[in-house]
Amino acid sequence: MTPIIQIKDVHKHFGNVHALQGVSLDIEKGEVVVIIGPSGSGKSTLLRCINRLEEFDAGSIIVDGIPLDTAANINAVRTEVGMVFQQFNLFPHLSVMNNILLAQQVVRRRSKEEASRNAMMLLEKVGIPDKANAFPLQLSGGQQQRVAIARALAMNPKIMLFDEPTSALDPEMIQEVLDVMLDLAREGMTMVVVSHEMGFAKAAANRAILMDAGQIVEEAPPDILFTQPKQDRTKLFLSKIL
Amino acid sequence: MPKDTHQTIRVFKTPSADQPPRHFDRWWFLLAAVIALIVLLITLVPDPYMRILRFVSDGIWVTFYVTMISFVLVLIFGLIGGLGRLSKVNILKGIATTYVEIVRGIPLMVQLYFWYFATPGLIRGLGGAIGSEALTNYKAEPIFMAIIGLTFCYSAYMSEVYRAGIQSISKGQMEAARSLGMTYFQAMRHVILPQAVRVILPPVGNEFITLLKDSSLVSVVAVADMTRRGREFQAATFTSIEPWIMVALLYLVMTLFSARIVTWIERKTRLER
Repeated sequence: MTPIIQIKDVHKHFGNVHALQGVSLDIEKGEVVVIIGPSGSGKSTLLRCINRLEEFDAGSIIVDGIPLDTAANINAVRTEVGMVFQQFNLFPHLSVMNNILLAQQVVRRRSKEEASRNAMMLLEKVGIPDKANAFPLQLSGGQQQRVAIARALAMNPKIMLFDEPTSALDPEMIQEVLDVMLDLAREGMTMVVVSHEMGFAKAAANRAILMDAGQIVEEAPPDILFTQPKQDRTKLFLSKIL
Repeated sequence: MPKDTHQTIRVFKTPSADQPPRHFDRWWFLLAAVIALIVLLITLVPDPYMRILRFVSDGIWVTFYVTMISFVLVLIFGLIGGLGRLSKVNILKGIATTYVEIVRGIPLMVQLYFWYFATPGLIRGLGGAIGSEALTNYKAEPIFMAIIGLTFCYSAYMSEVYRAGIQSISKGQMEAARSLGMTYFQAMRHVILPQAVRVILPPVGNEFITLLKDSSLVSVVAVADMTRRGREFQAATFTSIEPWIMVALLYLVMTLFSARIVTWIERKTRLER
Protein backbone atom coordinates (compact mmCIF):
# COMPACT_ATOMS: atom_id res chain seq x y z
CA MET A 1 0.00 0.00 0.00
CA THR A 2 1.31 3.46 -0.79
CA PRO A 3 2.17 5.54 2.27
CA ILE A 4 -0.42 8.19 3.13
CA ILE A 5 2.34 10.81 3.45
CA GLN A 6 5.29 10.70 1.06
CA ILE A 7 8.00 13.28 1.67
CA LYS A 8 10.82 13.26 -0.87
CA ASP A 9 14.04 15.25 -0.58
CA VAL A 10 12.43 18.40 0.82
CA HIS A 11 14.57 21.50 1.23
CA LYS A 12 13.64 24.71 2.98
CA HIS A 13 15.61 27.90 3.53
CA PHE A 14 14.86 30.74 5.92
CA GLY A 15 17.12 33.43 4.54
CA ASN A 16 20.60 31.98 5.00
CA VAL A 17 19.47 29.16 7.26
CA HIS A 18 19.08 25.82 5.52
CA ALA A 19 16.25 24.59 7.76
CA LEU A 20 15.43 21.36 5.93
CA GLN A 21 18.29 19.68 4.11
CA GLY A 22 16.77 17.02 1.93
CA VAL A 23 14.34 15.28 4.23
CA SER A 24 12.64 12.13 2.97
CA LEU A 25 10.05 10.30 5.02
CA ASP A 26 7.15 7.94 4.32
CA ILE A 27 4.33 7.52 6.78
CA GLU A 28 1.84 4.67 6.50
CA LYS A 29 -1.86 4.97 7.10
CA GLY A 30 -2.63 4.45 10.80
CA GLU A 31 0.94 5.02 11.85
CA VAL A 32 1.85 7.25 14.79
CA VAL A 33 5.19 8.98 14.33
CA VAL A 34 6.86 11.09 17.00
CA ILE A 35 9.55 13.55 15.96
CA ILE A 36 12.06 14.77 18.55
CA GLY A 37 15.09 16.96 18.26
CA PRO A 38 16.72 20.12 19.59
CA SER A 39 15.11 23.48 18.88
CA GLY A 40 15.97 24.73 15.43
CA SER A 41 16.41 21.19 14.13
CA GLY A 42 13.60 21.65 11.61
CA LYS A 43 11.04 19.32 13.18
CA SER A 44 8.26 21.90 13.35
CA THR A 45 9.15 23.18 9.91
CA LEU A 46 8.85 19.67 8.49
CA LEU A 47 5.47 19.22 10.15
CA ARG A 48 4.24 22.56 8.80
CA CYS A 49 5.35 21.58 5.32
CA ILE A 50 2.96 18.61 5.37
CA ASN A 51 -0.06 20.92 5.19
CA ARG A 52 1.91 23.60 3.41
CA LEU A 53 1.68 26.24 6.13
CA GLU A 54 5.34 26.46 5.25
CA GLU A 55 6.34 26.54 1.61
CA PHE A 56 9.31 24.37 0.72
CA ASP A 57 11.95 25.26 -1.85
CA ALA A 58 12.63 21.87 -3.40
CA GLY A 59 11.42 18.30 -3.21
CA SER A 60 7.89 16.97 -3.14
CA ILE A 61 5.24 16.00 -0.63
CA ILE A 62 2.26 13.83 -1.54
CA VAL A 63 -0.53 13.50 0.99
CA ASP A 64 -3.18 10.83 0.45
CA GLY A 65 -2.31 10.78 -3.24
CA ILE A 66 -2.57 14.57 -3.65
CA PRO A 67 0.68 16.40 -4.47
CA LEU A 68 1.11 19.74 -2.67
CA ASP A 69 1.48 21.95 -5.70
CA THR A 70 -1.53 23.99 -6.82
CA ALA A 71 -3.59 26.19 -4.50
CA ALA A 72 -6.61 23.91 -5.04
CA ASN A 73 -4.61 20.83 -4.10
CA ILE A 74 -3.18 22.53 -1.04
CA ASN A 75 -6.68 23.37 0.17
CA ALA A 76 -7.85 19.84 -0.58
CA VAL A 77 -5.00 18.44 1.54
CA ARG A 78 -5.71 20.89 4.35
CA THR A 79 -9.28 19.67 4.65
CA GLU A 80 -7.94 16.12 5.14
CA VAL A 81 -5.18 17.07 7.56
CA GLY A 82 -5.96 18.41 11.03
CA MET A 83 -3.40 20.45 12.90
CA VAL A 84 -2.94 21.22 16.58
CA PHE A 85 -0.65 24.07 17.55
CA GLN A 86 1.54 24.75 20.54
CA GLN A 87 -0.34 27.99 21.24
CA PHE A 88 -3.79 26.39 20.65
CA ASN A 89 -4.84 29.21 18.29
CA LEU A 90 -8.49 28.99 19.17
CA PHE A 91 -10.57 31.84 17.77
CA PRO A 92 -11.00 34.08 20.83
CA HIS A 93 -14.04 35.94 19.47
CA LEU A 94 -16.08 32.73 19.09
CA SER A 95 -17.51 30.42 21.74
CA VAL A 96 -16.09 26.91 22.04
CA MET A 97 -19.09 25.61 20.08
CA ASN A 98 -18.66 28.14 17.29
CA ASN A 99 -14.93 27.43 17.13
CA ILE A 100 -15.83 23.86 16.25
CA LEU A 101 -18.75 24.81 13.97
CA LEU A 102 -17.04 27.43 11.83
CA ALA A 103 -14.95 25.34 9.45
CA GLN A 104 -17.58 22.59 9.31
CA GLN A 105 -20.08 25.10 7.99
CA VAL A 106 -17.79 27.26 5.89
CA VAL A 107 -15.56 24.57 4.40
CA ARG A 108 -17.55 21.34 4.68
CA ARG A 109 -20.88 23.10 4.09
CA ARG A 110 -22.61 21.09 6.79
CA SER A 111 -25.95 22.18 8.17
CA LYS A 112 -25.92 23.78 11.59
CA GLU A 113 -27.74 20.78 13.09
CA GLU A 114 -25.33 18.23 11.69
CA ALA A 115 -22.29 20.33 12.63
CA SER A 116 -23.60 20.90 16.16
CA ARG A 117 -24.26 17.22 16.70
CA ASN A 118 -20.77 16.44 15.53
CA ALA A 119 -19.32 19.17 17.76
CA MET A 120 -21.14 17.95 20.88
CA MET A 121 -19.99 14.40 20.22
CA LEU A 122 -16.38 15.59 19.95
CA LEU A 123 -16.63 17.73 23.09
CA GLU A 124 -17.85 14.60 24.93
CA LYS A 125 -14.91 12.73 23.52
CA VAL A 126 -12.37 15.28 24.76
CA GLY A 127 -14.20 15.45 28.09
CA ILE A 128 -15.54 19.02 28.24
CA PRO A 129 -19.13 19.01 26.91
CA ASP A 130 -20.07 21.48 29.67
CA LYS A 131 -17.80 24.15 28.14
CA ALA A 132 -19.63 24.41 24.81
CA ASN A 133 -20.82 27.95 25.48
CA ALA A 134 -17.69 29.21 27.18
CA PHE A 135 -15.20 31.42 25.40
CA PRO A 136 -11.65 30.16 24.82
CA LEU A 137 -9.96 32.65 27.13
CA GLN A 138 -12.17 31.49 30.02
CA LEU A 139 -10.69 27.98 29.78
CA SER A 140 -7.47 26.54 31.17
CA GLY A 141 -4.65 25.78 28.76
CA GLY A 142 -5.39 22.07 28.84
CA GLN A 143 -9.05 22.66 28.09
CA GLN A 144 -8.19 25.02 25.26
CA GLN A 145 -5.91 22.46 23.69
CA ARG A 146 -8.61 19.81 23.94
CA VAL A 147 -11.04 22.15 22.20
CA ALA A 148 -8.39 22.72 19.53
CA ILE A 149 -8.15 18.95 19.02
CA ALA A 150 -11.95 18.69 18.79
CA ARG A 151 -12.01 21.55 16.29
CA ALA A 152 -9.50 19.77 14.07
CA LEU A 153 -11.30 16.41 14.41
CA ALA A 154 -14.61 18.01 13.41
CA MET A 155 -13.35 18.13 9.84
CA ASN A 156 -12.98 14.31 9.88
CA PRO A 157 -9.30 14.46 8.96
CA LYS A 158 -7.41 11.39 7.82
CA ILE A 159 -4.20 12.68 9.37
CA MET A 160 -3.54 14.72 12.51
CA LEU A 161 -0.44 16.86 12.97
CA PHE A 162 0.57 17.94 16.47
CA ASP A 163 3.11 20.73 16.80
CA GLU A 164 4.41 20.57 20.40
CA PRO A 165 0.86 20.28 21.73
CA THR A 166 1.84 20.22 25.39
CA SER A 167 4.81 22.61 25.46
CA ALA A 168 2.74 25.65 26.43
CA LEU A 169 0.83 23.82 29.16
CA ASP A 170 1.27 23.80 32.92
CA PRO A 171 2.59 20.37 34.02
CA GLU A 172 -0.66 19.27 35.66
CA MET A 173 -2.56 19.81 32.41
CA ILE A 174 -0.28 17.86 30.13
CA GLN A 175 -1.77 14.45 30.88
CA GLU A 176 -5.37 15.42 30.01
CA VAL A 177 -4.21 16.39 26.54
CA LEU A 178 -2.01 13.32 26.15
CA ASP A 179 -4.95 11.10 27.15
CA VAL A 180 -7.02 12.49 24.29
CA MET A 181 -4.11 11.90 21.92
CA LEU A 182 -3.65 8.34 23.19
CA ASP A 183 -7.34 7.64 22.52
CA LEU A 184 -6.94 8.95 19.00
CA ALA A 185 -3.89 6.77 18.41
CA ARG A 186 -5.77 3.70 19.63
CA GLU A 187 -8.60 4.44 17.20
CA GLY A 188 -6.11 4.16 14.37
CA MET A 189 -5.65 7.83 13.45
CA THR A 190 -2.54 8.60 11.43
CA MET A 191 -0.60 11.02 13.60
CA VAL A 192 2.61 12.98 13.27
CA VAL A 193 3.60 14.44 16.60
CA VAL A 194 6.41 16.84 17.36
CA SER A 195 6.85 16.40 21.09
CA HIS A 196 9.34 15.41 23.74
CA GLU A 197 6.75 13.51 25.76
CA MET A 198 8.60 10.18 26.05
CA GLY A 199 5.70 8.56 27.86
CA PHE A 200 3.35 9.28 25.00
CA ALA A 201 5.90 8.17 22.44
CA LYS A 202 6.46 4.84 24.17
CA ALA A 203 2.76 4.22 24.70
CA ALA A 204 1.45 5.23 21.29
CA ALA A 205 4.12 5.67 18.65
CA ASN A 206 5.14 3.12 16.06
CA ARG A 207 8.21 5.10 15.19
CA ALA A 208 10.31 7.83 16.77
CA ILE A 209 12.50 10.09 14.68
CA LEU A 210 15.37 12.28 15.79
CA MET A 211 16.00 15.34 13.70
CA ASP A 212 19.00 17.63 13.90
CA ALA A 213 20.26 20.45 11.70
CA GLY A 214 17.49 19.95 9.14
CA GLN A 215 18.08 16.23 8.68
CA ILE A 216 16.70 12.97 9.99
CA VAL A 217 19.49 11.53 12.16
CA GLU A 218 17.93 8.30 13.29
CA GLU A 219 14.58 6.53 13.30
CA ALA A 220 13.44 3.45 15.18
CA PRO A 221 10.56 2.19 17.35
CA PRO A 222 10.50 4.51 20.38
CA ASP A 223 11.64 2.02 23.03
CA ILE A 224 14.62 1.11 20.88
CA LEU A 225 15.47 4.69 19.93
CA PHE A 226 15.27 5.87 23.53
CA THR A 227 17.20 2.96 25.10
CA GLN A 228 19.63 1.74 22.44
CA PRO A 229 20.34 4.68 20.09
CA LYS A 230 22.92 3.99 17.42
CA GLN A 231 24.01 7.53 16.61
CA ASP A 232 26.16 9.62 18.96
CA ARG A 233 23.98 12.63 18.14
CA THR A 234 20.92 10.77 19.42
CA LYS A 235 22.73 9.67 22.59
CA LEU A 236 23.80 13.24 23.26
CA PHE A 237 20.31 14.62 22.75
CA LEU A 238 18.66 11.94 24.89
CA SER A 239 21.16 12.49 27.69
CA LYS A 240 20.04 16.12 27.80
CA ILE A 241 16.31 15.57 27.95
CA LEU A 242 16.02 12.42 30.04
CA MET B 1 -10.68 60.91 22.41
CA PRO B 2 -10.56 60.24 26.15
CA LYS B 3 -9.55 56.64 26.70
CA ASP B 4 -11.42 54.95 29.51
CA THR B 5 -8.90 53.27 31.77
CA HIS B 6 -11.55 51.10 33.39
CA GLN B 7 -11.67 48.99 30.24
CA THR B 8 -8.31 47.35 30.72
CA ILE B 9 -9.12 46.47 34.29
CA ARG B 10 -12.47 44.93 33.42
CA VAL B 11 -10.74 42.38 31.22
CA PHE B 12 -10.63 40.04 34.20
CA LYS B 13 -14.35 40.15 34.80
CA THR B 14 -16.12 36.90 34.00
CA PRO B 15 -19.56 37.15 32.42
CA SER B 16 -20.83 34.58 34.91
CA ALA B 17 -20.55 37.24 37.61
CA ASP B 18 -24.19 37.77 38.58
CA GLN B 19 -24.44 41.34 37.36
CA PRO B 20 -22.27 43.42 35.10
CA PRO B 21 -21.23 46.58 36.94
CA ARG B 22 -23.27 49.59 35.82
CA HIS B 23 -20.93 51.77 33.94
CA PHE B 24 -22.22 55.24 33.26
CA ASP B 25 -20.04 57.23 30.93
CA ARG B 26 -19.64 60.62 32.56
CA TRP B 27 -18.66 62.26 29.31
CA TRP B 28 -22.34 62.33 28.35
CA PHE B 29 -22.58 65.27 30.78
CA LEU B 30 -20.28 67.34 28.60
CA LEU B 31 -22.50 66.70 25.61
CA ALA B 32 -25.58 67.57 27.67
CA ALA B 33 -23.90 70.81 28.80
CA VAL B 34 -23.16 71.86 25.21
CA ILE B 35 -26.75 71.13 24.14
CA ALA B 36 -28.02 73.07 27.16
CA LEU B 37 -25.85 76.00 26.17
CA ILE B 38 -27.32 76.00 22.66
CA VAL B 39 -30.87 75.83 24.02
CA LEU B 40 -30.07 78.64 26.42
CA LEU B 41 -28.69 80.84 23.65
CA ILE B 42 -31.61 80.35 21.26
CA THR B 43 -34.22 80.92 23.97
CA LEU B 44 -32.60 83.80 25.81
CA VAL B 45 -31.05 85.53 22.79
CA PRO B 46 -33.22 84.41 19.86
CA ASP B 47 -31.89 87.31 17.84
CA PRO B 48 -29.43 86.42 16.40
CA TYR B 49 -28.95 82.82 17.66
CA MET B 50 -32.33 81.42 16.64
CA ARG B 51 -31.93 83.14 13.26
CA ILE B 52 -28.49 81.62 12.84
CA LEU B 53 -29.74 78.15 13.72
CA ARG B 54 -32.56 78.45 11.18
CA PHE B 55 -30.16 79.80 8.57
CA VAL B 56 -27.54 77.06 8.94
CA SER B 57 -30.00 74.19 9.54
CA ASP B 58 -29.92 73.00 5.91
CA GLY B 59 -26.12 73.10 6.24
CA ILE B 60 -26.30 70.75 9.24
CA TRP B 61 -28.02 68.22 7.03
CA VAL B 62 -25.43 68.67 4.25
CA THR B 63 -22.52 68.23 6.69
CA PHE B 64 -24.23 65.14 8.09
CA TYR B 65 -24.82 63.32 4.85
CA VAL B 66 -21.56 64.30 3.15
CA THR B 67 -19.79 62.86 6.21
CA MET B 68 -21.92 59.73 6.41
CA ILE B 69 -21.73 58.83 2.72
CA SER B 70 -17.99 59.52 2.63
CA PHE B 71 -17.41 57.46 5.74
CA VAL B 72 -19.28 54.40 4.46
CA LEU B 73 -17.23 54.58 1.25
CA VAL B 74 -14.05 55.08 3.29
CA LEU B 75 -14.78 51.92 5.29
CA ILE B 76 -15.07 49.93 2.04
CA PHE B 77 -12.18 51.42 0.07
CA GLY B 78 -9.99 51.58 3.18
CA LEU B 79 -10.39 47.83 3.61
CA ILE B 80 -9.48 47.22 -0.02
CA GLY B 81 -6.46 49.51 0.39
CA GLY B 82 -5.44 47.82 3.64
CA LEU B 83 -5.62 44.34 2.11
CA GLY B 84 -3.63 45.69 -0.83
CA ARG B 85 -0.93 46.97 1.51
CA LEU B 86 -0.68 43.49 3.06
CA SER B 87 -0.84 41.63 -0.24
CA LYS B 88 1.95 39.26 -1.20
CA VAL B 89 1.35 40.23 -4.83
CA ASN B 90 3.94 42.94 -5.43
CA ILE B 91 1.90 44.87 -8.00
CA LEU B 92 -1.11 45.20 -5.68
CA LYS B 93 1.13 46.14 -2.77
CA GLY B 94 2.93 48.70 -4.94
CA ILE B 95 -0.30 50.32 -6.14
CA ALA B 96 -1.73 50.51 -2.61
CA THR B 97 1.48 51.89 -1.13
CA THR B 98 1.91 54.50 -3.86
CA TYR B 99 -1.68 55.62 -3.37
CA VAL B 100 -1.25 55.98 0.39
CA GLU B 101 2.05 57.83 0.08
CA ILE B 102 0.74 60.28 -2.51
CA VAL B 103 -2.51 61.05 -0.72
CA ARG B 104 -0.77 61.50 2.62
CA GLY B 105 1.59 64.02 1.06
CA ILE B 106 -1.02 66.45 -0.31
CA PRO B 107 -3.15 68.72 1.89
CA LEU B 108 -6.83 67.80 1.85
CA MET B 109 -7.84 71.31 0.78
CA VAL B 110 -5.56 71.09 -2.26
CA GLN B 111 -7.02 67.67 -3.07
CA LEU B 112 -10.53 69.10 -2.89
CA TYR B 113 -9.56 71.99 -5.20
CA PHE B 114 -8.07 69.41 -7.54
CA TRP B 115 -11.25 67.31 -7.67
CA TYR B 116 -13.58 70.28 -8.05
CA PHE B 117 -11.61 72.57 -10.37
CA ALA B 118 -8.87 70.56 -12.09
CA THR B 119 -10.67 67.28 -12.74
CA PRO B 120 -13.60 68.80 -14.70
CA GLY B 121 -11.05 70.81 -16.72
CA LEU B 122 -9.16 67.62 -17.53
CA ILE B 123 -12.38 65.83 -18.46
CA ARG B 124 -13.43 68.69 -20.75
CA GLY B 125 -9.96 68.68 -22.32
CA LEU B 126 -10.24 64.95 -22.90
CA GLY B 127 -13.70 65.48 -24.40
CA GLY B 128 -12.26 68.03 -26.83
CA ALA B 129 -9.46 65.67 -27.79
CA ILE B 130 -11.72 62.72 -28.58
CA GLY B 131 -14.58 64.88 -29.88
CA SER B 132 -17.13 63.83 -27.27
CA GLU B 133 -19.91 66.38 -26.81
CA ALA B 134 -20.94 65.04 -23.41
CA LEU B 135 -17.44 65.25 -21.94
CA THR B 136 -16.72 68.71 -23.41
CA ASN B 137 -19.72 70.13 -21.58
CA TYR B 138 -18.93 68.31 -18.34
CA LYS B 139 -19.76 70.33 -15.27
CA ALA B 140 -18.75 69.26 -11.77
CA GLU B 141 -21.41 68.65 -9.17
CA PRO B 142 -19.99 70.18 -5.95
CA ILE B 143 -21.33 67.60 -3.49
CA PHE B 144 -20.35 64.69 -5.73
CA MET B 145 -16.79 66.00 -6.05
CA ALA B 146 -16.62 66.78 -2.33
CA ILE B 147 -17.58 63.21 -1.45
CA ILE B 148 -15.06 61.83 -3.94
CA GLY B 149 -12.36 64.11 -2.53
CA LEU B 150 -13.03 63.18 1.10
CA THR B 151 -13.33 59.47 0.29
CA PHE B 152 -10.15 59.41 -1.78
CA CYS B 153 -8.15 61.09 0.98
CA TYR B 154 -9.58 59.32 4.01
CA SER B 155 -9.50 55.86 2.42
CA ALA B 156 -5.73 56.19 2.40
CA TYR B 157 -5.62 56.92 6.12
CA MET B 158 -8.18 54.22 6.80
CA SER B 159 -6.21 51.62 4.86
CA GLU B 160 -3.36 52.19 7.30
CA VAL B 161 -5.74 51.67 10.22
CA TYR B 162 -7.01 48.42 8.72
CA ARG B 163 -3.47 47.28 7.99
CA ALA B 164 -2.35 47.88 11.56
CA GLY B 165 -5.45 46.15 12.90
CA ILE B 166 -5.01 43.06 10.74
CA GLN B 167 -1.31 42.88 11.57
CA SER B 168 -2.12 43.02 15.28
CA ILE B 169 -3.89 39.66 15.08
CA SER B 170 -1.42 36.85 15.74
CA LYS B 171 -0.22 34.86 12.75
CA GLY B 172 -1.45 31.70 14.43
CA GLN B 173 -5.06 32.74 13.83
CA MET B 174 -4.61 32.77 10.07
CA GLU B 175 -2.64 29.51 10.22
CA ALA B 176 -5.33 27.81 12.29
CA ALA B 177 -8.03 28.95 9.88
CA ARG B 178 -6.05 27.91 6.81
CA SER B 179 -5.14 24.56 8.38
CA LEU B 180 -8.88 23.90 8.69
CA GLY B 181 -9.17 24.32 4.93
CA MET B 182 -10.52 27.87 4.80
CA THR B 183 -9.47 30.04 1.89
CA TYR B 184 -7.66 33.34 2.51
CA PHE B 185 -10.89 35.31 2.15
CA GLN B 186 -12.92 32.95 4.34
CA ALA B 187 -10.25 33.23 7.03
CA MET B 188 -10.22 37.03 6.70
CA ARG B 189 -13.97 37.28 6.89
CA HIS B 190 -14.70 34.83 9.71
CA VAL B 191 -11.53 34.90 11.80
CA ILE B 192 -9.21 37.86 11.23
CA LEU B 193 -11.51 40.82 10.51
CA PRO B 194 -13.98 40.19 13.37
CA GLN B 195 -11.01 40.40 15.73
CA ALA B 196 -9.26 43.24 13.91
CA VAL B 197 -12.42 45.35 13.91
CA ARG B 198 -12.48 45.31 17.71
CA VAL B 199 -8.85 46.43 17.79
CA ILE B 200 -9.33 49.28 15.33
CA LEU B 201 -12.59 50.65 16.70
CA PRO B 202 -10.95 53.52 18.61
CA PRO B 203 -8.84 54.71 15.66
CA VAL B 204 -11.80 54.23 13.28
CA GLY B 205 -13.87 56.38 15.62
CA ASN B 206 -11.13 58.98 15.53
CA GLU B 207 -11.11 58.90 11.74
CA PHE B 208 -14.86 59.43 11.70
CA ILE B 209 -14.66 62.45 13.99
CA THR B 210 -11.74 63.93 12.06
CA LEU B 211 -13.63 63.35 8.81
CA LEU B 212 -16.67 65.09 10.27
CA LYS B 213 -14.54 68.13 11.13
CA ASP B 214 -12.60 68.08 7.87
CA SER B 215 -15.88 68.02 5.97
CA SER B 216 -15.93 71.76 6.76
CA LEU B 217 -13.29 72.09 4.04
CA VAL B 218 -15.87 71.21 1.38
CA SER B 219 -17.23 74.70 1.94
CA VAL B 220 -14.40 75.93 -0.29
CA VAL B 221 -15.72 73.96 -3.26
CA ALA B 222 -19.22 75.45 -3.27
CA VAL B 223 -20.90 72.90 -0.98
CA ALA B 224 -23.39 74.64 1.31
CA ASP B 225 -22.44 72.84 4.49
CA MET B 226 -22.62 74.22 8.03
CA THR B 227 -19.39 76.18 7.68
CA ARG B 228 -20.34 77.77 4.39
CA ARG B 229 -23.80 78.69 5.69
CA GLY B 230 -22.15 80.30 8.71
CA ARG B 231 -19.96 82.40 6.44
CA GLU B 232 -22.98 83.37 4.35
CA PHE B 233 -24.79 84.49 7.49
CA GLN B 234 -21.77 86.56 8.46
CA ALA B 235 -21.65 88.17 5.02
CA ALA B 236 -25.37 88.93 4.99
CA THR B 237 -25.61 90.40 8.50
CA PHE B 238 -22.11 91.74 9.18
CA THR B 239 -22.02 89.81 12.46
CA SER B 240 -18.70 88.14 13.05
CA ILE B 241 -18.95 86.64 16.53
CA GLU B 242 -22.34 84.98 16.89
CA PRO B 243 -22.45 82.79 13.76
CA TRP B 244 -19.11 81.22 14.63
CA ILE B 245 -20.13 80.57 18.23
CA MET B 246 -23.21 78.79 16.91
CA VAL B 247 -21.37 76.83 14.22
CA ALA B 248 -18.66 75.79 16.68
CA LEU B 249 -21.26 74.57 19.18
CA LEU B 250 -23.09 72.61 16.47
CA TYR B 251 -19.88 70.84 15.42
CA LEU B 252 -19.15 70.14 19.05
CA VAL B 253 -22.52 68.46 19.56
CA MET B 254 -21.91 66.22 16.56
CA THR B 255 -18.34 65.25 17.52
CA LEU B 256 -19.06 64.71 21.22
CA PHE B 257 -22.07 62.58 20.34
CA SER B 258 -19.98 60.53 17.87
CA ALA B 259 -17.30 59.96 20.48
CA ARG B 260 -19.88 58.65 22.95
CA ILE B 261 -21.31 56.30 20.34
CA VAL B 262 -17.85 54.93 19.55
CA THR B 263 -17.14 54.27 23.23
CA TRP B 264 -20.52 52.58 23.58
CA ILE B 265 -19.88 50.28 20.61
CA GLU B 266 -16.43 49.49 21.98
CA ARG B 267 -17.97 48.35 25.23
CA LYS B 268 -20.64 46.28 23.49
CA THR B 269 -18.19 44.40 21.30
CA ARG B 270 -15.47 43.69 23.80
CA LEU B 271 -14.34 40.07 23.84
CA GLU B 272 -15.72 37.93 26.61
CA ARG B 273 -13.07 36.44 28.79
